[in-house]
Amino acid sequence: MASSGGELGGVFDHHVQRAVCDTRAKYREGRRPRAVRVYTINLESRYLLIQGVPAVGAMKELVERFALYGAIEQYNPLDEYPAEDFTEVYLIKFMNLQSARTAKRKMDEQSFFGGLLHVCYAPEFETVEETRKKLQERKAYITRTTKNKDHHMTKKKLVTELKDTKDFRQDFHSRTSGPCAATLNTSTGNSDPCLPYSCELPLCYFSSKCPCSSGEHMGWASDSSWSGRNRAGTVEHCMHNDSSQKIQMKPFKNSLACPGAQKATTSSEAVDRFMPRTTQLQERKRRREDDRKVGTFLGTSTSSNAVMIGPLLPHIPKVDMHDDSLNTTANLIRNKLQEVFHLCPNLQKTSWKMCVQVVH
Amino acid sequence: MAQKPKVDPHVGRLGYLQALVTEFQETESQDAKEQVLANLANFAYDPSNYPYLRQLQVLDLFLDSLSEENETLVEFAIGGLCNLCPDRANKEHILQTGGIPLIINCLSSPNEETVLSAVTTIMYLSSPGSGSPPELTAMPVVQCMLRFSLSANTRLRNLAQIFLEDFCSPSQVAEARTWQAHSALGIPLPRTEAPQQ
Repeated sequence: MASSGGELGGVFDHHVQRAVCDTRAKYREGRRPRAVRVYTINLESRYLLIQGVPAVGAMKELVERFALYGAIEQYNPLDEYPAEDFTEVYLIKFMNLQSARTAKRKMDEQSFFGGLLHVCYAPEFETVEETRKKLQERKAYITRTTKNKDHHMTKKKLVTELKDTKDFRQDFHSRTSGPCAATLNTSTGNSDPCLPYSCELPLCYFSSKCPCSSGEHMGWASDSSWSGRNRAGTVEHCMHNDSSQKIQMKPFKNSLACPGAQKATTSSEAVDRFMPRTTQLQERKRRREDDRKVGTFLGTSTSSNAVMIGPLLPHIPKVDMHDDSLNTTANLIRNKLQEVFHLCPNLQKTSWKMCVQVVH
Repeated sequence: MAQKPKVDPHVGRLGYLQALVTEFQETESQDAKEQVLANLANFAYDPSNYPYLRQLQVLDLFLDSLSEENETLVEFAIGGLCNLCPDRANKEHILQTGGIPLIINCLSSPNEETVLSAVTTIMYLSSPGSGSPPELTAMPVVQCMLRFSLSANTRLRNLAQIFLEDFCSPSQVAEARTWQAHSALGIPLPRTEAPQQ
């Protein structure tokens, strides 16, 4: 992957437009033909390099076009950058990374004043501090997104005392990472509870000395430990859920040597008090089926086969309401009550009389 | 991003990822392997995919691919790891499955992107202070970063500087400097070095 200075876009390899891949299998062909490339946080940047701009004095229009995707901090032509005849190269710096990502996606290969723009990231223009901030924001974003998902998942599971403290900590955490959250308008477009914070978009964000950057440096350090404590309770849940679903899906069968011992520990770490959703659903389904088997719908007596345990309930004479549907309803309720009291004998003494009064 | 926009619900997503993993395991074409690995590595950018990727053991797939002879596969694999390692669960998995030596090896790759991804991954796997696995700030690594911090490659220089400032103690850096003066360090700089801006 040698680079040569004289070629077009040849100053850096990552500026070179790669050939589109035409050998993709059908099932994974995208909507647009794309090259084979991996985008990491290193490659992405607030700085965009735009090549192929026709030299017709249209800098203003170019910047206006890009500004549709987000606020631009600065822009300038790059006169020393190798360019095709009659074209210019520009550098545009966005206020935030997400705008740059969107702009790149939308504007790459777009026509502009008769020419075809080639837009790429230019991370080499970043200062050390900008790079540092970029990495920290990425980590904060992931921590926040995963924490929200975990929180959403744990809500559906059996609640433990962990939840109360977790809620408190989450609120606290989202407050501390609020300004940092401002950068990301979530490409996933999910319902990010932190969005109200980013809507505020504190003015600090537009100033070059953003107070959150110093706060973030601490966040770089405290974030991991903070999220560590916060997530300690949730990681097992997450992993347990995954391992329970493994039975349904084919796992990656590794032909190369793989430390199987480590895999075993993750599923054995699973805490029994949490029932994964699928198991709860199955549990409810099983109960429903058991109910149906008991055949209560038509008011048939609970059984000649059932073993009678506990004191015999007083036989309440059934009132005929002189109406089929009303009788059916009454029978249904009566039978349901009987069922419930079979399961919860404690209720009998107090509630039975109350319910009976209602039914009759 | 080289990734088509999400349209299908996550049920379709898991099936798609499963198909990718299957193709990677079964195909004999290097091109197809590269394409699939790139696809998976790009999916690793989005946190909403992490449960699926863990379920399908894609993290292990990435780690295994670091030992491939094909440099492109290594580049894409370490890129994928770099994308997903800031997540705590993923990070723990990587640490538990002995991923550190494999990632440190990538520092000596001739491929620029591989080295950059490796440096960033090491940073994300470290926690400032005493929580970090000691191998991540071992002498050879710190010395390597010292050399990178003098590189003409701005991106590499920036990353190395951040590593030395945020993840190493001043004494570690000083010690590495002293050692470096005496030893002939074997980790070369990546081949693709850009001229100074």
